[in-house]
Amino acid sequence: MKGKGRRWNLAGQMPLVSLIVLCVATALLTNRFLSPFNVTNILVQSSIMAVIAMGMTFVIVGGGFDLSVGSTAALSGCIASMVMLEAGIAAGVAAGIIAGAAVGLANGLVIAFLNVNPFITTLGTMVLVRGVVFLITGGAPVSGEAGLPSEFVAFGSDRFLGIHYLVWIPAVLLAVLSFVMHATPYGRRIYATGGAREAAYLSGVPVRKVIASTYVWCGALAGVAGVMLAARLQSGQPTAGEFYELTAIAAVVLGGASLQGGEGTLYKSVIGVFIMIVLGNALNLLNVDSYWQRVAVGAVIIAAAAAERLRSRGSR
Amino acid sequence: MTHPAASAEGVSKRFGATLALHRVDFAVAFGEIHAVVGENGAGKSTLIRVLGGVHRPDLGVIRVNGEERHFASPREAIAAGIVTIPQELRLVPALSVAENIALGDLPARRFGPLAVIDRARMREQAQAVLAELDFAPDPWAPVASLSVAERQLVAIAKALHRRCRIFILDEPTAALEKREIARLFSVIARMKRQGTAIIYISHRLEEVVAIADRCTVLRDGRVAAVAARGAFSVNDLVGAMTGRAEQQALFAPLPSGEPLLEARLDGVTDVRVRAREFVGLAGLLGSGADRIIRRLFGAAREPTMVEVRSKKHRLASPHDAIAAGIGMVPGERSLGLIMNQSVRDNILLPNLDMLSRMGYLDRAAGDRIVAELMELLDIRPRQPHLKASVLSGGNQQKVILAKWLARRVAVLLLDDPTQGIDVAAKAQIHALIADLVGRGAAAMIYSSDLAELARLCDRVLAVRQGHITATLDRSGGIDEPKLRNAIGG
Repeated sequence: MKGKGRRWNLAGQMPLVSLIVLCVATALLTNRFLSPFNVTNILVQSSIMAVIAMGMTFVIVGGGFDLSVGSTAALSGCIASMVMLEAGIAAGVAAGIIAGAAVGLANGLVIAFLNVNPFITTLGTMVLVRGVVFLITGGAPVSGEAGLPSEFVAFGSDRFLGIHYLVWIPAVLLAVLSFVMHATPYGRRIYATGGAREAAYLSGVPVRKVIASTYVWCGALAGVAGVMLAARLQSGQPTAGEFYELTAIAAVVLGGASLQGGEGTLYKSVIGVFIMIVLGNALNLLNVDSYWQRVAVGAVIIAAAAAERLRSRGSR
Repeated sequence: MTHPAASAEGVSKRFGATLALHRVDFAVAFGEIHAVVGENGAGKSTLIRVLGGVHRPDLGVIRVNGEERHFASPREAIAAGIVTIPQELRLVPALSVAENIALGDLPARRFGPLAVIDRARMREQAQAVLAELDFAPDPWAPVASLSVAERQLVAIAKALHRRCRIFILDEPTAALEKREIARLFSVIARMKRQGTAIIYISHRLEEVVAIADRCTVLRDGRVAAVAARGAFSVNDLVGAMTGRAEQQALFAPLPSGEPLLEARLDGVTDVRVRAREFVGLAGLLGSGADRIIRRLFGAAREPTMVEVRSKKHRLASPHDAIAAGIGMVPGERSLGLIMNQSVRDNILLPNLDMLSRMGYLDRAAGDRIVAELMELLDIRPRQPHLKASVLSGGNQQKVILAKWLARRVAVLLLDDPTQGIDVAAKAQIHALIADLVGRGAAAMIYSSDLAELARLCDRVLAVRQGHITATLDRSGGIDEPKLRNAIGG
C-alpha cells in the first residue's frame, strides 16, 4: 500500500462524503427513506441517468460538452420500439444503440474536424434530433397495437439476483468503462487531450479522433439509456428524456469533473447521479413543495461547483 | 533617516511541506537596481510574489517606505507603488497603446449622467509617460501589433502612469533580442536616474553583473549571499547559487555517423542530421527557424516528407513523426506537458503504445520506466504522482526530455529548451542531450541564445526568412559574433 493510497484522500472523496451525509440526514428525518421499496425506486431511477452520465463523463473529460443526450435517448427509444415491432427485440435494441452512436458520431465529426464549438453543435443536434423524433413518430408514443414484445417489457421491471436488470446495466457498464478509461492507452489519451489539447497533439495523441470518439461513446450510451427507458415506459416516447442533458452534466460536475476537461472519474459521476436522485427523493419524502424542490436542486448544483472551486484554489 | 523603498524583514513562507522562504531579509532603495538570483526552487518567485501581494508571508513583515504593509492582493501592492512586470504581460492585445496605459483610470468628460472618454487627454497622458521611457509608438496602434519588447515598455509605462515607483522586473529579457535588451537596459538606467527602485530577477547572470547595483543570492529559501556592484562576478554568483564552483560543461566533438534524418523542405531547403551530431538552428525571432523544427515534427499545416535512417516517412502529424523515431521538446513548457496531470502520466503519454499488452496498459512496466528516468534525469521531487504544474521550470523540462528518452528516439528536436531555466538545470539538460547524442542519436536545437548554440553544436544552420542561408561548423569555428553575423542580427 505504500504510496498507492495517495489517490484516496478525503478531499478527493467529497462527492461520496456528500452522498453519505445526504443519505444519513434523510434517513434520520424520515423512516420511509430506507424502506426496500424506496431504495429500489432510487436505484431504478438512477440507473438510466447513470448510463447517460457515464457517456457525458467521456465527453467532459475529453474537454467537450454534449447537450443532445436527452433528444438522442428519445430517438433511440423510439427507433428501438419501431424496429422491435417489425424485426424482433435484438434488432430493435441494436438499432436503438446504433442510432445513438450515429448522432454521437455526427456531433464528434463536426466538433473535432470542423472545429465548431461543442456547445453550439450539440445545442443544434439537441433541437434537430428532437425534430426527427417527432417526424418519425408523428408525435405519438410507439408501442404498436399489441404493445412492445412482452420479454422486452418484462426486462424493464424484472430482477436478477433480487436486483432490477435496469440496475445491472449501469453496474456492468461502470466496471467495463472504468477499465477502458484508466487501464487502456485510449483512456489515458482522452485525459491528455482534455487536459491540454495542443500538448497532447505534440505528444503524438491523435486528438481529433480521440475527441470524436468521446461523442460516439456519449451517443451510444444515450442510446442504451433510451432503450432502457423504452422498456420501463413500455413504449417509445417522443417526449422522453427532456432535460436529461442538464441533469447529466450537473451530476458529472457534482462528481468532481472539470468542465475545462482532463479531470473526472466515471464512478464519481455515478455518485453525482445518486446525489441528484436522492436529493429529489428526499425532498419528495419530506413533502417539500415541488416548486421549492427546483429552487433547492439548482442551489445545490451551484453550491457544489463553488465549493469545488474554493477547494482547488486552496490547494494550489 | 531614509527608509528603503521596499523591504522584507525576516520573511518566511511555507507551502505544504516545502519551506519556500526562511527568514529572508531583502531591501531595495529608490534609485537602486537590486538583482535577485537563485536556482529554480530557491525562492525567487515566492519572494517577488510576497512583495507583489500575491502571497502573504507566514512570518516577517513587508515595509514600503518604512511603513508596515499587509497586501491582500496584487492590486493593493500596486496601490502602494509596487508593481511586478511579469514575463506574461497583462495587456489587452485588442486595445490601443493609450487605452492600455489608461485602463483602470480612464480620463472622462461628464455630460450630466453620461461619461465620455476624453481621448485627447488619454493620448497626452500616454505620450507623456512613454516619453519618460524615450519610446514613441503610435498611441492608437493596437498592442497586438507591437513586438514583445515594445509591449514590455507599454506595460512599464502603464505602471508609471499609476505612479508605481518600485518595479519588480521578472525575467524581462527572456523573450528579447540583443538589440531590444540594450534598449530595455537604457530604459532601466533612465528609470533608476529618476529615482525608481528596481528589483531585477534574471537567470542571465551576465546581465545581472552588468546592470545590478546590488545582488541577493537565494539558495533553498535562504539568503546565501548579498554583494554590492564590483564585488561579484558570474562565477561568484553561480558558486553562491549552487553552493559549489561551476564546472563548465565542454563537449568534445564526436565523430558523426550515418545520416539519421534527411528532409527537403519547400523543395529547396535541405536538412541533414547524422548520428552523434548536434545541429543548431540560429535565427532571429520570425526567421522561421522554429518553424523548421515544427515541420520536421509533422506539426505544421502541410505534411512533410522525411527520411529517417534512410526510410521514407510522410509526416502528417506528430503521431507519424513519433512513430518514425523523432521526438520534440517544444518552446513553451505548457506545450510539452499536460500541466494538471502527473509526472508519470506525462512521461508515459507518447509511449503508451509500448506499454500496451493486448489493449491494456502494463502498469508495472510503466512504473519501472518512470522510476528509472526520474532517477537518471534527477527529477525532483522524486514523486511520480505529483502534478507536473507544481514542479520548477528546470524539472518540468526534464520531464519533457524523459518522455523522449523513454522511447530512445533517433532524432530529438528542441525548440529553445533552456529558455527561462537556471544555470544548474541548464547545464544538466545540456549534459543529458549530449549524452543522448553520444549514444548514437542526433539532436537538432533551435535557440535564441547564440552563446548556447556556439558552445553546444557541431554545426549551426543560419536561418533567414524560412531558408537556411549559411552553415557554420566546428572545423571553421563557431562563435557568437559569427552567428550573429550569419543571421543578420
